[in-house]
Amino acid sequence: MTLPLLPVTAVGSYPKPSYLLEARRKHLRAQISKEALTELERRATREWIQVQEELGMDILVDGEQYRGDMVAYFADEMAGFAIAGLVRSYGNRFYPKPVVIGPVGRRSPVTVEWFTYAQSLTKKPVKGMLTGPYTIAEWSFNEYYPTRRELVLELARAIHDEVLDLERAGAAFIQIDEPAIHTRPEEDFELAVEAMEIVTNGTSAYTVSHICYGDVPKIYPDMLRLAVDQLDLALKNEEFGLLQTFKRAPFTKDIGLGVVDAHSHRVESVEEVADGIRKTLQVIPAAQVHISPDCGLKTRTIDETVGKLRVMVEAARIVRNELTGILSPRPR
Amino acid sequence: MRETGTGNKEQGTEDTGVMTTVIGNYPKIPDLPAPGKWRSAVEKFQKGQLDEAALRAVEDEVTKEAIADQVDAGVDLVTDGQIRWEDGQTHFARRLRGFSINGLQRYFDTNVYFREPVAEGSVEWTAPITVQDFAFAREVSARPVKAVVTGPFTLAKLSRNAHYSTFAAYVRALATAMNAELRALAAAGAPVVQVDEPALCQDKEEFPVFAEAMRVLVQGVAAKTILCTYFGDVGGVYPQILELPFDVIGLDFVAGHRNWDVIRSAPFSKELQFGVLDARNTRVETPEEIAAAVRRIAGSVPPERMMLAPSAGLEFLPHGVARKKLRALVEGARAAASDVKGARA
Repeated sequence: MTLPLLPVTAVGSYPKPSYLLEARRKHLRAQISKEALTELERRATREWIQVQEELGMDILVDGEQYRGDMVAYFADEMAGFAIAGLVRSYGNRFYPKPVVIGPVGRRSPVTVEWFTYAQSLTKKPVKGMLTGPYTIAEWSFNEYYPTRRELVLELARAIHDEVLDLERAGAAFIQIDEPAIHTRPEEDFELAVEAMEIVTNGTSAYTVSHICYGDVPKIYPDMLRLAVDQLDLALKNEEFGLLQTFKRAPFTKDIGLGVVDAHSHRVESVEEVADGIRKTLQVIPAAQVHISPDCGLKTRTIDETVGKLRVMVEAARIVRNELTGILSPRPR
Repeated sequence: MRETGTGNKEQGTEDTGVMTTVIGNYPKIPDLPAPGKWRSAVEKFQKGQLDEAALRAVEDEVTKEAIADQVDAGVDLVTDGQIRWEDGQTHFARRLRGFSINGLQRYFDTNVYFREPVAEGSVEWTAPITVQDFAFAREVSARPVKAVVTGPFTLAKLSRNAHYSTFAAYVRALATAMNAELRALAAAGAPVVQVDEPALCQDKEEFPVFAEAMRVLVQGVAAKTILCTYFGDVGGVYPQILELPFDVIGLDFVAGHRNWDVIRSAPFSKELQFGVLDARNTRVETPEEIAAAVRRIAGSVPPERMMLAPSAGLEFLPHGVARKKLRALVEGARAAASDVKGARA
């Protein structure tokens, strides 16, 4: 499959429609069955695939309608974890934090079924979406492994098996989210590099790692050693301040360029987003740039999400046309 | 939900010589599946279905419950749980003059995020920030309440300076502003005021700036003062840290396990807030483990010169685990105290 210049994608999560939120609440209280909930999760997935197709995005995501939290989802599906309870991440956002209570590992493939379903709905490529071993370890309490290293490497082997299963199921793009990777850069970054080598070893899929917030300059250019094809980063959150960092050393991988803020209600203007892309192209060649939001959009409203996706697509089209010198009419 | 403020003053460990306290924040909502009244209230407030007075009333209730958890567990010196704080930075920056609030940043090596304050003008204290909350907590608590503020160095490190020409000038301005807050707390009758400075453990090379700020900060503050560090050790600034004008120094012996060695490198001349229960792991310490830690440090700090504490705020834990940690803290103090009595008998 061929991608256009500046392909447009998303980080992973989209907001859940109100019927699904309601169904999740009811399921929690045992008022509806797992099957009934799954049916609504599939409906929401279909709707998001359709939205992305209609907007003209290039690499789609399934929207993670069946996940509560990016770490708890894997903890729930894998052996060795329990859920300790809710802890606050910011404002009034809480997440169920897992606790490692025994040897961790896969019981069976975790994400393959949902990937296969989402891919069956579209001819556009759908990204396989995984949470990386360092982040799963870092965002869980550990009551079992004597060291973080042992836990991270054991998880890396499990996520590697998942990568191979996704590839076998037809995933050409696989994203391994590692938003926690720069939590303790001095102490742990080599461990994170080692873990990612295990995770992507032997796969021919195009691999992406999403890293957000925290001190990115501190791990640059070291982060370019991570064994993935693309690093997906939040640029808009600091108004493209990270570009100064990327001037220190050439950005040798592809970049997933976060061009809209995932945590503001305001939908950016097309011109503002196009400017962000143009600014980036002065530092990183266009052939290496994918267009993306800063982070998963699940905390936005549906209208805000669609609005932000739309301006990404339009801004990418404008800049793409500037680059190729084609003043094409609007598609459709 | 339990009755609040029912703590029994006869319980606890004040007779046995090992005092207990907490660092500051406490979970705002109960365990699953309940969304919790605070979370529901904030959601309704954001949708315009609840007015500010009603939200404040819910915060009052949850504050009472957080205090009751501490009092019922037998903690000697409690806090208000910082239920009303979104985080330690914006709680002050939004109420000082000179700041705007920017995008999300990670809080040290945690999975907690806060909006970054930006100093766009001269930083000034205009009115008390935490005094009313302290007065409320004292009113509803059966135990003494410790007032807690974020220190100027940490506020400076976790914000962006777009106004002052040097970092030192920025920290000094924050120290002057926060000095007014500490004086206001002392004037309101706060017996103990704690200044949180976790950033010191990350940026020790700036100790001269830090030390100057601390002197400005506590000038004329008529209360017992605690300098509280966490998320790391104080190696490199010890024993200089003992020369700062505080009565108590808080150290984290979990994330800062090197503090075990650091504290042996020179006589510890102050009172110690002994952060030894792991506030960031669900595994609950046994009384024997805590008693052993008290024995281990006794050569540097005798039990009567310490307050046992968790290593950081308990809000990193789910509510049910935080409550267990409070009980473990007090049971640990009792085990340590009977150890001491046994040794002296």
